[in-house]
Amino acid sequence: MWKQFLSKLPRRSSKSDSACDSAHNHPGSNASPSGNSIQRASSGNAGPGRSTTVKRMSSAVFPSSVVAGIEPLLSFKDVPNAEKQNLVISKLNLCSAVFDFSDPNKNSAEKDMKRQTLLDLVYFFNSGTPRFTEPMISASCRMFAINLFRVFPPNYRTNSSSGGETEEEEPIFDPAWSHLQLVYELLLKFIASSSLDAKLGKKYIDHSFILRLLELFDSEDPRERDCLKTILHRIYGKFMVHRPFIRKAVSNIFYRFVFETDRHNGIAELLEVFGSVITGFALPLKEEHKIFLWKVLIPLHKPKSVGVYLQQLTYCVTQFMEKEPKLASSVIRGLLKYWPVTNSQKEVMFLSELEEVLEATNTVEFQKCMVPLFRRIGYCVNSSHFQVAERALFFWNNDHVISLVAQNRQAIVPLIFPALEKNSRSHWNQAVLNLTMNVRKMLSEMDEELFLACQRKLEEEEERREAVEEKRKMTWERLESAAAFQPVTGNTAVLVRPVMTPPMAATLT
Amino acid sequence: MAMIDEPLYPIAILIDELKNEDIQLRLNSIRRLSTIARALGEERTRKELIPFLSENNDDDDEVLLAMAEELGVFIPYVGGVEYAHVLLPPLETLCTVEETCVRDKAVESLCRIGVQMKENYLVDWFVPLVKRLAAGEWFTARVSSCGLFHIAYPSAPDQLKAELRSIYSQLCQDDMPMVRRAAASNLGKFAATVEQSYLKAEIMSIFDDLTQDDQDSVRLLAVESCAALGKLLEPLDCVAHILPVIVNFSQDKSWRVRYMVANQLYELCEAVGPEPTRVDLVPAYVRLLRDNEAEVRIAAAGKVTKFCRILGPQLPIQHILPCVKELSSDSSQHVRSALASVIMGMAPVLGKDATIDQLLPIFLSLLKDEFPDVRLNIISKLDQVNQVIGIDLLSQSLLPAIVELAEDRHWRVRLAIIEYIPLLASQLGVGFFDDKLGTLCMQWLEDKVFSIRDAAANNLKRLAEEFGPEWAMQHIIPQVLDKISNPHYLYRMTILQAISLLAPVLGVDITCQKLLPVVIASSKDRVPNIKFNVAKVLQSLVPILDQSVVENTIRPCLIELSEDPDVDVRYFANQALQASDQVMMSS
Repeated sequence: MWKQFLSKLPRRSSKSDSACDSAHNHPGSNASPSGNSIQRASSGNAGPGRSTTVKRMSSAVFPSSVVAGIEPLLSFKDVPNAEKQNLVISKLNLCSAVFDFSDPNKNSAEKDMKRQTLLDLVYFFNSGTPRFTEPMISASCRMFAINLFRVFPPNYRTNSSSGGETEEEEPIFDPAWSHLQLVYELLLKFIASSSLDAKLGKKYIDHSFILRLLELFDSEDPRERDCLKTILHRIYGKFMVHRPFIRKAVSNIFYRFVFETDRHNGIAELLEVFGSVITGFALPLKEEHKIFLWKVLIPLHKPKSVGVYLQQLTYCVTQFMEKEPKLASSVIRGLLKYWPVTNSQKEVMFLSELEEVLEATNTVEFQKCMVPLFRRIGYCVNSSHFQVAERALFFWNNDHVISLVAQNRQAIVPLIFPALEKNSRSHWNQAVLNLTMNVRKMLSEMDEELFLACQRKLEEEEERREAVEEKRKMTWERLESAAAFQPVTGNTAVLVRPVMTPPMAATLT
Repeated sequence: MAMIDEPLYPIAILIDELKNEDIQLRLNSIRRLSTIARALGEERTRKELIPFLSENNDDDDEVLLAMAEELGVFIPYVGGVEYAHVLLPPLETLCTVEETCVRDKAVESLCRIGVQMKENYLVDWFVPLVKRLAAGEWFTARVSSCGLFHIAYPSAPDQLKAELRSIYSQLCQDDMPMVRRAAASNLGKFAATVEQSYLKAEIMSIFDDLTQDDQDSVRLLAVESCAALGKLLEPLDCVAHILPVIVNFSQDKSWRVRYMVANQLYELCEAVGPEPTRVDLVPAYVRLLRDNEAEVRIAAAGKVTKFCRILGPQLPIQHILPCVKELSSDSSQHVRSALASVIMGMAPVLGKDATIDQLLPIFLSLLKDEFPDVRLNIISKLDQVNQVIGIDLLSQSLLPAIVELAEDRHWRVRLAIIEYIPLLASQLGVGFFDDKLGTLCMQWLEDKVFSIRDAAANNLKRLAEEFGPEWAMQHIIPQVLDKISNPHYLYRMTILQAISLLAPVLGVDITCQKLLPVVIASSKDRVPNIKFNVAKVLQSLVPILDQSVVENTIRPCLIELSEDPDVDVRYFANQALQASDQVMMSS
């Protein structure tokens, strides 16, 4: 169903061609009413000598020039209203020149000019203009694309440092931020502006544009990711037609991160956007959205850098559960599936999320998963890392959890009792020991008869343990000898011992 | 135990074990699947065990991974290749799970089984499996299918082949980038099984699509298949189809793509032939050597020798050497380091004159590099240049570099240079070594870091092997034995270690006369750690010494140690005594 749904969407970048065509046809007709069209062949690089300063022009899907025919450096207040549209386009074209910021002294005059022009544009976009015309939209999107859609430089950081939150990394700041920031501001104003008609805008804010915008989320610069977050949110809100596509494209980013690369800088930001997307899902939840929960959000618990975005992830998960409480048991099972067994730091985080999820779990759902759940909690209680053990024991400070346990004590106490017993005998940490005693006391007060029964059962089991172990060994030994004496049929004459790589010739007889 | 008479139900045992909450037990039982299969016999394995496994795939990924691996070698237990196809269903399910490791292992096992299956069975069972996976609803199945086409394709009849090609082409245009990536990375393998005519007509158009994908990550993998495809095509076709693509890629806006090209470019030289290499590939390579992005230059620099080896002496001197000169003073230490690790290999390609004129200055400047890795990399490949111009020209600059590295404050650097000392010794000769390096080797025995002392002891052994026992008697042994009186027990321990390593190389006489007395004397050391190490060393000496010496010198000493107040000393002394008993008995 998910697949069918997706296949109905138009494929990537099929829009760009039509975008080019329309842009080439319209400018003339739209520009003529202004009456003052000075036919000057000014292209994207307006000023003299500027073409040499252009470092790299993105192979944009947008037309390479939209003729505006007005000096871009004029101020908005110096031109009549009718001329303003052309001035915007002219300024946008000027801002489509990209400068090299690796050397701060290079082209500083031009850089200042561009900055000033960007500020002019921000001011203009702010001042409540009439509806954007198509040439304006086209020129804007082209300017955004050329400035923003770039390839990030290699990451020279050590790969080992993607661990937990303790290793605070110094964020890397983009040297070109003084320009980028204004371009982002402009993009945000542009998208959010009531002057932008969504029907017209979607021709330029198309799949290819969105895809490349999403790629930018991998930026090292937290300021950039923050801008992108707001912009993506607005695009999702404004362009209803693109919603399925955005959800699909973001899912693909998550898949790649979880199943292939394990590296991405913008997972937290993308999840934050999705937090509000999920809040907006209509009830009953579509199958597609549930699949997103199971196939994307739950596996996102696997990567080792989960600590960086766990807060946002937990929010998304709990949003789902608030919408549809029946999802609780599958969420809990998912967490158990990706439970970290060798990373104590992650384990503490998982326990916190688990508690939050349990808060929103009703009895029926709880009963579906309580056995594996409390088996896992039992292991955590016994962890030799005191923070893990402590965190697990804190579950009994939670009234909702206690009431769930109390209702289902016949199943849970026998699971948890051996773990408590083991701790009270041999845990090294005093705090854990004290907590263990408290929980023990609480359980025995909850149902003394059951508690004593568990105690007896544990004693019996301990007596039997060696015998069980011995029996298992014997069974396998008998199996081994039975296997060795199994009558040999024609084909496998050579297989008296286990063979690692079977010789091909053996079967040709 | 009373259950000896109980009948055995192998499947029941497995089911029981797989229900256990302890994952280690579940893993163990999967690891012993073959035992269960043999106990069951072939027929019941086919009819009961395999179907059970097909259904029981809800376990932890770790268990599934083990299962995927075991099934790959399971053919003998189901009755040989005739029945290999019964193994396909459980593996097919494993191909669809979420965890990448499990899927990859399942695909690997399927390939392993597939290559053994007979043609008609492949057509009846394997090809349909590939088709099912390729049409899978979830992307994991489609990703897995990409790695199976090269097994399925060769045995299929023509019509089926056409179908498989068209399915593969669809996978390359799949909606999910994950699938397109899998298809792109397996394209080379699949193409190798496809007939020439279809290669040009169909595979190349698939390839073209991939090279224009809007996802960076897909194009990246398409580059990888460039070299593989290039080798399959006739040179003319390669020039027509692959060359433009790779030249284009070498100027891609993504540095990752250019990086891939830099790594692969040399592999295409032979596929396109000498003329296009000269006209197109060399300029492209030169561009990459001068790329803006250090990462790309690192990759390109690392391939400089391989590239030059293909080109012969002329072109590199003209085009590549100027770049190499630039790279030797590159701003990135990693670029210089990559260059240093391969540049020595250029000497044989360029010949003696060009090496002396052009390469030598570069070697020398790299030997003085501020970054130790660069210097180390030059030193590690010294033998290659020695064959061409002799070491004399370098030795002047070499010594300061070695001494500086030998005293570097990072112990890993010191360790690395120790590893190369025997190589240097053999290249430089005894004379040079005695004068300059001998003292260094002794100095390392008293390093602050254990690994260095350990390596220093090992180094002495290798030097003794290189220069012979007589040389060692003169230049190593006296100094080493002197150090046994060092006041710090850790250094005395190093000497014991050195003795145990040197003894087998130096032979019985020297060991008895020079080394053994020192060891015996150390058994009176006041530190227990020394004493039990004496026991260990004596144990290692037993097999190489005469029985009389063992009887008269070693055993009395060990017996004394075996009554030591320290428990560890007694333990190791007894171990050594037992070992010497065994040697005596066997001789």
